[in-house]
Amino acid sequence: MIHKFSNSDSYNTIHDQALEDYFRAGIGYKALILTPSYPFLFIGEILSLIEDHIELMVQTTHFAQLENRTWLIHVHNIEVFYIEFPGEPCIPELNDIA
Amino acid sequence: MIRRFHVVAIPIRIVVNNFGDHNPDGMMYVLKENESKVKELVRKNPFTQVELVQPLTIRANEGDTVEILFENQLPFATGMHFQDLDYNVLTSDGTNAGFNPSSLAECGETILYRVNATHEGICFFTDLGNVSSTEDGSSIQGLFGTLLVEKRGSWWTDPVTGGPLNSGVFADIHNPFLPSFREYAWFFSDEMEVDDLTGNRPLNPLTNQEAESFHGVNYRYEPLHNRIKLIEEGVVAPESDGEEVHHDSWVFGDPATPIMCGYRDDPAIIRLIHAGVKETHVFHYHVHQWLRDSTNMNSEIVDAQAISPQSHYTVQPLYGLGSLHGAIGDVVVHCHLYPHFEVGMWGMNRIFDTLQDGSQCYPNGKPIAPLQPLPDRPCPPEPTKARPGFPNFIPGKVGCKAPRPPLGIVGGREMTELEKNAAVPNARPGAVFADSCLGNPVVLEFNVSVIELPLVYNKQGWNDPKGRIYVLDEHLDDVLSGKKEPEPLVLYAPAGSCIRMNFTNRMPHLLDGDAFQLVTRTYEVGFHVHFVKFDVLVSDGANVGWNYDSSVLPGETIRYEWFADTELKAFFFHDHLFPVSHQQHGIFGSCVIQPRFSEFYDSKTGEEVDHGTEITVVHPIIPDYRDFALFVQDFALLFDKDGCPIQPPPFPGSQDDPGIFAVNYKNEPLQFRLGKNCDPAYSFSSYVNGDPITPILRAYKGDPIRIRLLQGAHEESHSFNVHGLKWKAERPSNDSQLRSQQHIGISESFTLEMDIPRAGDYLWAFGDEEDVWNGTWGLIRAFDQEVNNLIPLPDRPLPPPRTKPLPKATGKPPAPADPQCSLPPEVAHNPPIRRYRVVAFQTPIVYNSFGDHDPFGIIFALEEDVEDILCGKKNPEPLVLRGNSGDLVEVTLTSRLKFDLFPFPDGIHPYPPVKEQAVYPPSLRISLHVNMLDYDVTTSSGDTVGFNPDQTVGPGETITYRWHVQENIGTCAMWDMADLRNHRSFGTFGAFIAEPRFTTYLDPRTLKPVKTGANVILRHPFNGDFREFVLIMHDGVRLVDKQDQLIIDPLAGVIPEADPDDEVDTYDFGSRGFNYRTERLINRYRKHPVLSDLFSSKVFGDPATPVFEAYPSDPVVVRLTNPSERRRSHTFHLHGHNWKFDPRDIDSRIDSYVGHLVPGVTEDLLLIGGAGGIFNIPGDYMYRSGNIRWDIEQGMWGIFRVHDKVMPHLPILER
Repeated sequence: MIHKFSNSDSYNTIHDQALEDYFRAGIGYKALILTPSYPFLFIGEILSLIEDHIELMVQTTHFAQLENRTWLIHVHNIEVFYIEFPGEPCIPELNDIA
Repeated sequence: MIRRFHVVAIPIRIVVNNFGDHNPDGMMYVLKENESKVKELVRKNPFTQVELVQPLTIRANEGDTVEILFENQLPFATGMHFQDLDYNVLTSDGTNAGFNPSSLAECGETILYRVNATHEGICFFTDLGNVSSTEDGSSIQGLFGTLLVEKRGSWWTDPVTGGPLNSGVFADIHNPFLPSFREYAWFFSDEMEVDDLTGNRPLNPLTNQEAESFHGVNYRYEPLHNRIKLIEEGVVAPESDGEEVHHDSWVFGDPATPIMCGYRDDPAIIRLIHAGVKETHVFHYHVHQWLRDSTNMNSEIVDAQAISPQSHYTVQPLYGLGSLHGAIGDVVVHCHLYPHFEVGMWGMNRIFDTLQDGSQCYPNGKPIAPLQPLPDRPCPPEPTKARPGFPNFIPGKVGCKAPRPPLGIVGGREMTELEKNAAVPNARPGAVFADSCLGNPVVLEFNVSVIELPLVYNKQGWNDPKGRIYVLDEHLDDVLSGKKEPEPLVLYAPAGSCIRMNFTNRMPHLLDGDAFQLVTRTYEVGFHVHFVKFDVLVSDGANVGWNYDSSVLPGETIRYEWFADTELKAFFFHDHLFPVSHQQHGIFGSCVIQPRFSEFYDSKTGEEVDHGTEITVVHPIIPDYRDFALFVQDFALLFDKDGCPIQPPPFPGSQDDPGIFAVNYKNEPLQFRLGKNCDPAYSFSSYVNGDPITPILRAYKGDPIRIRLLQGAHEESHSFNVHGLKWKAERPSNDSQLRSQQHIGISESFTLEMDIPRAGDYLWAFGDEEDVWNGTWGLIRAFDQEVNNLIPLPDRPLPPPRTKPLPKATGKPPAPADPQCSLPPEVAHNPPIRRYRVVAFQTPIVYNSFGDHDPFGIIFALEEDVEDILCGKKNPEPLVLRGNSGDLVEVTLTSRLKFDLFPFPDGIHPYPPVKEQAVYPPSLRISLHVNMLDYDVTTSSGDTVGFNPDQTVGPGETITYRWHVQENIGTCAMWDMADLRNHRSFGTFGAFIAEPRFTTYLDPRTLKPVKTGANVILRHPFNGDFREFVLIMHDGVRLVDKQDQLIIDPLAGVIPEADPDDEVDTYDFGSRGFNYRTERLINRYRKHPVLSDLFSSKVFGDPATPVFEAYPSDPVVVRLTNPSERRRSHTFHLHGHNWKFDPRDIDSRIDSYVGHLVPGVTEDLLLIGGAGGIFNIPGDYMYRSGNIRWDIEQGMWGIFRVHDKVMPHLPILER
């Protein structure tokens, strides 16, 4: 049993590490992140990684009142993400009707 | 903890308002400690209100045992029947039902009830000793109350004194771990006896006819017909007409009805209870929203909620009083059914911004009662001369109409000094005393006018010469010149928008008189909105309490501001000044708050738009979709092409169901769609009759669609059904049940989201007989190839170019469908096939042992049972079919209908009636439609609609439908679609039950497998055995008695006898029951005229309705449906048992009743704790309707028997 747990730990460690590495490589690029908790959607530039938190300069969420500020998002809270690396498809432009 | 109450049922005079209207024969429950006091007060005040005369509201905590010593001082046996609580049915049911000992108390006697408060919420109680629907009955006269169960550890105080409270409709509730909150019990009731000061029935001074019956709140009502007398006499506001000042406290002072007081941001709960007997009301609370299911965070947000008799809901306004933006002022709370609203079913929520300690007065000099601040909230500021707080900064004049708001009216006034002191820092037109918009959102501006113009409703020229509609200013010329077809105004805005509305009144001052209405000076109009955030003082579009009159005079423009804080849905808008007079002429519309970043396009041209009832929504992230808005209408006051009124009321100004029905200002009555061969089976066929004029919602196959379902006018419930499609009942929840039917009352709003899996025509219909007959139906048309007036959704594959011509009307019936040529869209490869052979034929149906019967019954039955039914060995039951998840069910239907066995071969069907009778000869064709299952709509929906092939069969013909059971969705309703007039109420309906995979169905007596039956055991290798009871509630039945005399129900069944002046709406006619049986109480009463014995099996034997049997703790699921046929909404209640509102969602609330039962509804009730409730107590449990008027008398009741020992005929379950 102990063996199994330690294996499971290491898989989780590898998984988290890979995520962190990927996001670290994306610093300076635009990312789209979906989380299961409020406010659910984030689009913005990755500023840095603080341990296993992504620091994002959020340009867009569902709620305009929560935009244009820095958010820290824990990697465990990320359900879906996409980083717009050079040459990759663009994250859609989200514009309010004015 | 044991809590003890001594409750007395007493006769009491109930004064219902300040005009001396009273009920001399009222009845109420009261605590013994208040009995002598209340009697003395009433004796001394025969014509003024006594506060203690209110529905008894007592409280306990979760986990408490409550002992009630009940004492009866009424002249007949009465009791207290508790909903939602757990108790011993043999001692504490408050009934004399089945073989139980009576738990009623005779006159002068007492009885002890012991009940257990298991879960937090509302436990309504009422009397079942006397269920007469007349004024001799107890419920109708006020004998009801509630036990409110609070969270464990709570206590409660008087909101005025802060002292302890033993009973009372208002209380402040406190808990060591939870925020304190205001609790308001709000009891709707209807049809109570009321006399005026002279002892006569109140008159309406406008019509000089008897006023509408009592519709009130907490034994009070504040009808317009009283207040208007003061205007007519010149006492107040002589310049006003009446309706526009009905709720105006500046003119009349405060109403007699409840005013729920609180401070801004106070947490609050309204315990909404329908204690009345007949109508399904719509509770609407301005400014605020709440979760439809208060325990489920993923349930729909609503701000209007239909409520059927003996139902109840917890209304917990999100963000507390004043909502997110902290509005202050008077917030009207009312039944949205306009005739009820007019006759006084309204009150207010008064939100103060300053401390009320009893030292202040209202502008008319009446003292403001003290209001204790909630102890865990900041104390509101004390009022000062410069900042007196609401309402004393408003520059009104007592006795005159409320003032107009500052800033809002173009060219209007600025603020006074006091108003400036009360205003928000950035006060602007439409947002003066609350900042409705958060931050600095995107601003959308609309310019809308309201105009009068003739509206033509159908191809036959039915028209409303005084149509009144909202229209965008830029469309004024096109609409008025006829270039643009009028339709209800639907606007679109993305979530997060600040919406600014410039609203102009371009209507004439007068609404002219005619056969329907008296001349009315409708000189001002407002634009009242639901759902969004707004400053209620200046942007309510209404005239309420001590608020401003935020309407506008002819030729003027007013500016409103609203904030759409999140993706809501379709929010309803309408006038709030003269809605009773003119909303039914068309003054309603909607704005849909779409997901943020959406773009909207005209589905025909692809042009970007911000309005329209059919548009295409494009979004960068979520799937694009079609958006459709449908508004159902009743009380449409139409004239035919020759100028004759259609269904005028008995006299102009009467609210007795005038007019007809429509959708989006159009209708397509079936009487005009018989075709050359005069066969109703093709009434919906576009081949025979062309497309209907009602909306055809167009899409390509595979498109996601959202239907915004609304009701624009005016009083009645409707049942929206879509054939062949289904949606999640709770849209935000992934665990939600599926539905293909939705009950709707005026002002409610539903978003029905679904995909269209396959090309074809899907019928949508407001599916009761009278609605469909008069044309409230249309189509959803999904194309499989490109059409030139429908843009494709940008994120879906382009439709293939058109190779086949579009179908056209031929005047001839379509070719028969071939269901074997296609499979249901979601079916898996090689599914298990389950086959049924069903025959439709005519046979008499005996409804009870008293000889009430339907000699012209038409039924569906399995082929193998036909012989036994025809020779009388089997009395027919509605057909119940079953299938397991994954099954492909093949149902082979054969018609054996014979023309000479129809009661009305000449095509005139006089009873039960519908509006606009016309020739409609019986069809010999028949079909079988099932809702919710997965099938190809062009071959297996049982509908011959649009340009689909013929799915009905004539005598001797056969069709084999293919239905796929996509999952174990439980109850599905089945009915015939070939002839809704001549078939359905005679018995052409049944149920299909979709069970879990691997389930087998056993006879509960023999344990042998069965293919049909309403009472089976479900055996499943993992789930164990379940008892399944199928209850098919139906109405509109034509019965004759044993002497073959026609029974004209409901009045023929009234106990002790009907009042000859009783009004019966068309949709109340007909007999009622469960599963082709009815135990009409009048039959029992004639045999043994003792009201309290009417449900007793000891006296009468068991009822004819199903007696379902089980043993304590047996797992039980009740499958409940109403496939037929009238518009009257029913409630279902099972004594002593509870279930989850949504059986698939663990978070959903616990209920003991189901409301809104109208045609097409399907419910699955998994009894918590199994048979006998959580304590597994044996005994006889009544199941019944909650409508005292007229369902219970009509026989809509039966017994669920839980045996205490093993019975030889009932094997025990495998556990």
